[in-house]
Amino acid sequence: MLTSKSHIFFLNLLFILNYLFPYPEISNEELEEINQFVGPVEKFFSEEVDSKRIDQDAKIPPETLKGLKSLGLFGMQIPEEYGGLGLSNTMYARLGEIISLDGSVAVTLAAHQAIGLKGILIAGTDEQKAKYLPKLASGEHIAAFCLTEPGSGSDAASIQSRATMSEDGKSFLLNGSKVWISNGGLADIFTVFARTEAVDNDGTKKDKISAFIVERAFGGVTNGKPEDKLGIRGSNTCEVHFENTKVPVENVIGEVGGGFKVAMNILNSGRFSMGSASAGMIKKLIEMTAEYACTRKQFNKKLSDFGLIQEKFTLMAVKAYVMESMAYLTAGMMDRPGVPDCSVEAAMVKVFSSEGAWICVSEALQVLGGLGYMKDYPYERYLRDSRILLIFEGTNEILRMYIALTGMQYAGKILTGKIKYVLKGNVGVALEIFVNQFRDSMGRKVDLGLVGKDGVVHPSLEESGKKLEENIYYFGAAVEGLLRRFGKTIVDEQLVLKRVADVSINLYAMTAAISRASRSISIGLRNHDHEVLLTNIFCTEAYFKNNYVMAEIEKYAAENLDDSIKKVAQQVLEKRAYICSHPLERTF
Amino acid sequence: MNCVRKLLLARELSAGRGILRQAAPGRDLPWLQGSSCAQRFWPVSVRSIRSSAALSRSELIPSARGDKEKDRGSRDGSLVPFDELFERAHEGDRTKAAFSRAVELFCQRDIRRRGHVEFIKAALRKMPEFGVERELDVYNKILDVFPKEVFVPRNFIQRMFNHYPRQQECGIHVLEQMENYGIMPDKQTKFLLLQIFGKKSHPVRKYQRLMYWFPRFKHVNPYPIPAALPRDPVDLARISLQRIAADLSAKITVYQMSLTDVSDAGKEITQPHIVGIQSPDQQELLAHHNPARPVFVEGPFPLWLKKTCVYYYVLRGEPLPPEEKEETIDSERNFFYPLHLDLDLDRGPWDDEEFYVDEVEEGPIFAMCMAGAGDQATLAKWILGLQQTNPILSQTPVVFHLKPGPQELQAASDSESGEEEIPQSWHAKQEL
Repeated sequence: MLTSKSHIFFLNLLFILNYLFPYPEISNEELEEINQFVGPVEKFFSEEVDSKRIDQDAKIPPETLKGLKSLGLFGMQIPEEYGGLGLSNTMYARLGEIISLDGSVAVTLAAHQAIGLKGILIAGTDEQKAKYLPKLASGEHIAAFCLTEPGSGSDAASIQSRATMSEDGKSFLLNGSKVWISNGGLADIFTVFARTEAVDNDGTKKDKISAFIVERAFGGVTNGKPEDKLGIRGSNTCEVHFENTKVPVENVIGEVGGGFKVAMNILNSGRFSMGSASAGMIKKLIEMTAEYACTRKQFNKKLSDFGLIQEKFTLMAVKAYVMESMAYLTAGMMDRPGVPDCSVEAAMVKVFSSEGAWICVSEALQVLGGLGYMKDYPYERYLRDSRILLIFEGTNEILRMYIALTGMQYAGKILTGKIKYVLKGNVGVALEIFVNQFRDSMGRKVDLGLVGKDGVVHPSLEESGKKLEENIYYFGAAVEGLLRRFGKTIVDEQLVLKRVADVSINLYAMTAAISRASRSISIGLRNHDHEVLLTNIFCTEAYFKNNYVMAEIEKYAAENLDDSIKKVAQQVLEKRAYICSHPLERTF
Repeated sequence: MNCVRKLLLARELSAGRGILRQAAPGRDLPWLQGSSCAQRFWPVSVRSIRSSAALSRSELIPSARGDKEKDRGSRDGSLVPFDELFERAHEGDRTKAAFSRAVELFCQRDIRRRGHVEFIKAALRKMPEFGVERELDVYNKILDVFPKEVFVPRNFIQRMFNHYPRQQECGIHVLEQMENYGIMPDKQTKFLLLQIFGKKSHPVRKYQRLMYWFPRFKHVNPYPIPAALPRDPVDLARISLQRIAADLSAKITVYQMSLTDVSDAGKEITQPHIVGIQSPDQQELLAHHNPARPVFVEGPFPLWLKKTCVYYYVLRGEPLPPEEKEETIDSERNFFYPLHLDLDLDRGPWDDEEFYVDEVEEGPIFAMCMAGAGDQATLAKWILGLQQTNPILSQTPVVFHLKPGPQELQAASDSESGEEEIPQSWHAKQEL
């Protein structure tokens, strides 16, 4: 029936409602274990890591690296049998909150473990793991992830590096150059992606991407000088050139020609930790900024008494809360055994957190005014460091397309039959759709089982739950309408897909916040009434934004400016300049 | 265990109730004194019907009787059972180890744990003396005294009729004491209770209720007091002053540490501690205070922190009468936007939410302090210390409105020779 299928778009979320409610928890023993880690790491970061110096010198001092290695932070997700800490995703996210206090250190560690050695972890053979993981866990060798080339950033499948099989068939010769490789200058182990000739199923030879573990010791590996960057200046980013590097056949990760899947899995599994890292950074910023706002007086009033300043703090608190909820919900789902792939959720976390972090750091700097702009204070460093969050690990635009299209693919499969009926002119189905739309316009009451007597949402959050249900329902209807209009050509309609992705991200964020707040009230955590406030604020804002965006998706909506936008863009790009006449021009 | 004794009494039931009383003179049989004796007999008779065949052997009865004689003999018929067990165990040192030893002694003494209900009740009574009332593992140990799996009902009749009511009550008492001291039970407690009483018994229901409400009430206090308050009066004063001030930018100064000194003349001079607190807002208010008007030192006011009472003194000023309140509207105060609109319109009645009936207009409070002694001399030292940061105090008259503090009242009640300082400290004006 149309009603029950209208909300299927919401991918893994609704029909696995039991994964979202109740909010994932960890046992007391795990909590104690992670708290034992948290203490020394926090101490290390507050005392021994001099972020200002790292930023100025554009280098992480070797003592800091040694301290990090001794804390075991170089092998957080490596299993204990290989010498790592063997932390689960949730615990990794928890430690990420503290590590994010210094952007350069965070990026160095992430490039090493979240992408650099993840390939060996998830797709490597036991021999590869036993050979490389122990040294990587202790930090003796640092790993790097080499995919980007000068000609292919987001377009990863167009890489030009080649790996040709040698005559004896025992090794590959790797040739190519990679650019913007984090840890490129420090790393000894590289996960390199290159094109290899693979024989397809039907015998045709095709160029497919494969993943290799390349050691610097193989020879032919050179790197350029470290790049001078806007932010995360302490992280070593440079070009890496491979010239006839001999890579033994045993070092292929996965199978020859299976590099695409390996790359996808690696990139999708590390994204969720950005949520908790951004949340940790914003929490620290709130502390520092509140200290300032409560002491500085202007016009005989403390800054904290002015409404505009209070609004900024609320924004920061709400964003931090939602980011945390989303990150730990995703980590909890990934930790559960037997859960399907959470890559879309991780992508949603990444997009929301990166943009939220950028806005919040900007607002925090604004609260400090002129002082925030000075290099003496860390705000400008945080701002520069957080700008990269929108770019690396998949640019936000690419991820929005990924979220929207994966959803469309899934929804499309289910709705294809129904839509084909409609297009064929089946009267019964068309009538049904007409009746449903009529009822929608009359204001239908939606009930998805979230609120109410047997609902999973706590009664204090009933309003927010109702808003979420309404949004989900209308979103489903909107998506169905889009599929009917565009079919598979929706791939080219980026402006429409962006809106779809935005709504999805907001819906996931609302779900995460409501789930976490429900749990807080039910078990009576401290300040759970504050959490309810934050959730209600966020849900109300997101509800209205979603409604506006969904109104824009309609074809002849007055709010839909897509055609005008495309026209303006076409005119500007044709002349590659701003084409309006100058306001001071005269004609006579 | 109780079943043999019950059997014994059931046998005597048939002979009449008078014999019952005779059979158990020195022991309190609580289950007999229950509300309706008839109801109590039912489970007894059920069990006796079931197990009478097995226990109809005559040897058991004399031996049971013999046991009772032995028990009774060793206890001298004392009305408070098991006290001497605890007395013996502690050997002058009332610690957790001694308490555990007493419990273990009881468990080892008798494999059937006879009299365990009374023992557990006595143990619960003794816990505060030994200082273990807040230890969860001690409670688990006490629950361990119950014999396992005997009290679990085995058929629907037993389930219907409040199986082993005294033992269930005793289990509930243990949990109630845990609840009174605010101790959250853990998985071991749950396991023990399930093993002892079964799934739908009263103690397990109480445990479920505890586990439902306790987490919800754990963080219900928005201003929690730390569990262990510091003994040092200066630290205690620090914490309590911060609690009263509730302002993160308030600064605490220790004007004087308490010390007892022997001067050269051999006289003992004692110096009480003085800890004061003032926030930058209060400093500003004091700086704007008109020196012609006096400021008042009032106190001591009590502040209760769990079981400790501390006293604080307040430096405050009178609220200004409405005529003297200044409201200078400086139109050039703000460079960028006008702080004051020159309109004749006031706030609309539907938007005016400022009216609070019980908000009394109070004068500004300039500082607070806690001192070891509440006499004028000590507080004068406090004012002198405040003058360092608030020079206006040197020109302001300070009036001391001191009520007799607890020490003075104590001294007054102790010594009959009327203490003269009480009326003297009252309304003593002093120019500083």
